[in-house]
Amino acid sequence: MKKVITGDHAVAIGAKLCRVEVVPAYPITPQTLIIEHIADFINDGELDAKFLTMESEHSVMSAAAAASAAGARVFTATSSQGLAFMHEMLYATAPFRLPVVMPDASRTLAGPPGIWCEYNDSMGARDSGWLQLYVEDNQEALDMVIQSFRIAEDKRVLLPVMPCLDGFVLTHTVEPVDVPEQEKVDSFLPSYKPDIILDPARPAMIGAFMPAEYIMELRRQTAGAVESSKEVIQEINGKFAKEFGRDYGGLIDTYRMDDADIALITMGTVTSTSREVVDELRQKGEKAGLIKLRFFRPFPSEELRKAVAQVSALGVFDRSVSYHGGGQVYNEVRSALFGMTIPVINHLAGLGGRDVTKEQIMKMFELTRKAAKGEKVNQINWHGTRGETV
Amino acid sequence: MYEVRFHGRGGQGAVMAAQTLAEAAVNEGNYAVAFPFFGAERRGAPVLAFTRIDSKKIFSKTQVYNPDCVVVLDDSLLDTIDVVSGLKPEGIAVINSKEKPEDIDLGKTINTATVDAVSIALEILKAPITNTAILGAFAKATGIIKIESLEESIKRKFGEKLGEKTGEKNALAARTAYEKTVMGKSRGIKKLEARKQWLPTYQEMPVGGSLIESKTDAGLIGPGSFIENKVSGWATYRPLRDREKCVMCLLCWFYCPEGTIHRISNKGDLMTNYDYCKGCGVCANECPVDAIKMVRARA
Repeated sequence: MKKVITGDHAVAIGAKLCRVEVVPAYPITPQTLIIEHIADFINDGELDAKFLTMESEHSVMSAAAAASAAGARVFTATSSQGLAFMHEMLYATAPFRLPVVMPDASRTLAGPPGIWCEYNDSMGARDSGWLQLYVEDNQEALDMVIQSFRIAEDKRVLLPVMPCLDGFVLTHTVEPVDVPEQEKVDSFLPSYKPDIILDPARPAMIGAFMPAEYIMELRRQTAGAVESSKEVIQEINGKFAKEFGRDYGGLIDTYRMDDADIALITMGTVTSTSREVVDELRQKGEKAGLIKLRFFRPFPSEELRKAVAQVSALGVFDRSVSYHGGGQVYNEVRSALFGMTIPVINHLAGLGGRDVTKEQIMKMFELTRKAAKGEKVNQINWHGTRGETV
Repeated sequence: MYEVRFHGRGGQGAVMAAQTLAEAAVNEGNYAVAFPFFGAERRGAPVLAFTRIDSKKIFSKTQVYNPDCVVVLDDSLLDTIDVVSGLKPEGIAVINSKEKPEDIDLGKTINTATVDAVSIALEILKAPITNTAILGAFAKATGIIKIESLEESIKRKFGEKLGEKTGEKNALAARTAYEKTVMGKSRGIKKLEARKQWLPTYQEMPVGGSLIESKTDAGLIGPGSFIENKVSGWATYRPLRDREKCVMCLLCWFYCPEGTIHRISNKGDLMTNYDYCKGCGVCANECPVDAIKMVRARA
């Protein structure tokens, strides 16, 4: 059924279709609509779940972890300051292998305070063990909530998943979304049945104190789970494509890359605009291509190396900065391509929610083209920033 | 470089002993470091502390695996831990014990010094805290540090923390132990078995480290596994109840922090599970009719 809805609404419907059982929540712009819709579903009898109004995001994630340890399918959503506030508990959910799904409505993290799209909130959770993905439109936002639960609860993974959707650009934008039928989602996503849960009838220790003799093995185990999530993500992408007819490519997606000479790596909604820019460049005879980085954790190093094997230069888009040398994605990509001789330059744009225009994306390709020709270009380029020379 | 490993139990002051030794060594013109290693802090749990002494700056930040001297603050540890593990052949063990070195079985014959630090501490400090007394024995047994330097450091360090009087008492405990230390060689009869520990590989570790009640070669793990961990070994005192005086008010049962006092159903009586009694004395303190006396656990 087609519905014209916001990204937040799509995400909430996704959670409802997954028959989530516990939703601890705390509102924050631009995530608020998600939990409001969930509250409506529960109130209207469309969703049989326990809604917990918590006093802070720290408590939200504490409750989420506890409910997950008790065997429930747990959903929540957050953004920016809220994500930062639950930072401590993010680190408890992943190593204890609790498959919570929590969309993040990407929003700039203060200071300075702001409410618009930037990835510096989720980038801070990079090393928490959560899987992280970035969606391009409202359809993908809904579909990835469903896929996220399937990935998270896979016995080879058992990790929490954070689908990130651009604040306002998706959360508050309406567009047509094909809402899957409940029966199809039910057959795609079996109910969650963990081996060990907190149950007085069968006592268990989850999240206990560990001396140094054990923690390193647990870290290694968690690292292994993140690594093995790669094949699971690909596998589930394939199954989803088969059953629902929408193939997102798995860890990365590519657009007109077959014979591309220069390419741009993007995340989130900038990918969408970039598709049109690539088309325009192609019409002008420019062999431009696009790589959509869907998953940031796990980081698809191998897939990227394959995808860029034929290009003569690569631009990397970042919507956040590491205050040291460009954006986080840029640094990860360079690390992934270590040993390859392709020039890689960084394009920072859209920080603090500034609109990323087609002209800026054109400029990104233009600079990447210069790098391909061997001309001198800055490694790190700030687009649309007053005072910059690009 | 001279390396010392202290074996003690939480609350006995092994860490403070290691630090005091380091400070005394520095005051003698050396370089020294001292550091602890312990699990979750709780009274009675085995703890380690280390001191390194050298004439020049020490860079090594690892634990001590081949000590020149091991200091044992609690001889109940001898039953469960190979305290002389890695000790250099010419090294020495300094042990808080009533026994003579010849009557102590360390699994090998090595230079051993003993002193009854508990009795000294009880007499001078009125508490079974043996760290300062054992330092006196260390000075006597090793000659690595002058007893005067130790006394000075103890007075300063303990005085600063607990008052001048306590500092002086602790220095006296060290001096008394110094004079009462007995030197000799240990026996080497018992076979030392490495303590069994559950050490899974990362593949063997349960997902997320979550455990249900389970049995391993090294004993129980998971919920309820503490039942195997008898914690009374280090008790200095144990409670003795006079059944004639007892009025069955159950205040001891109510106050016992370890839940070791049980009601025997239908008999109107109580029993204490000495496997888990740490000898804290709370029951004796709370008893309104003075029916409970604390007596030395290991006479």
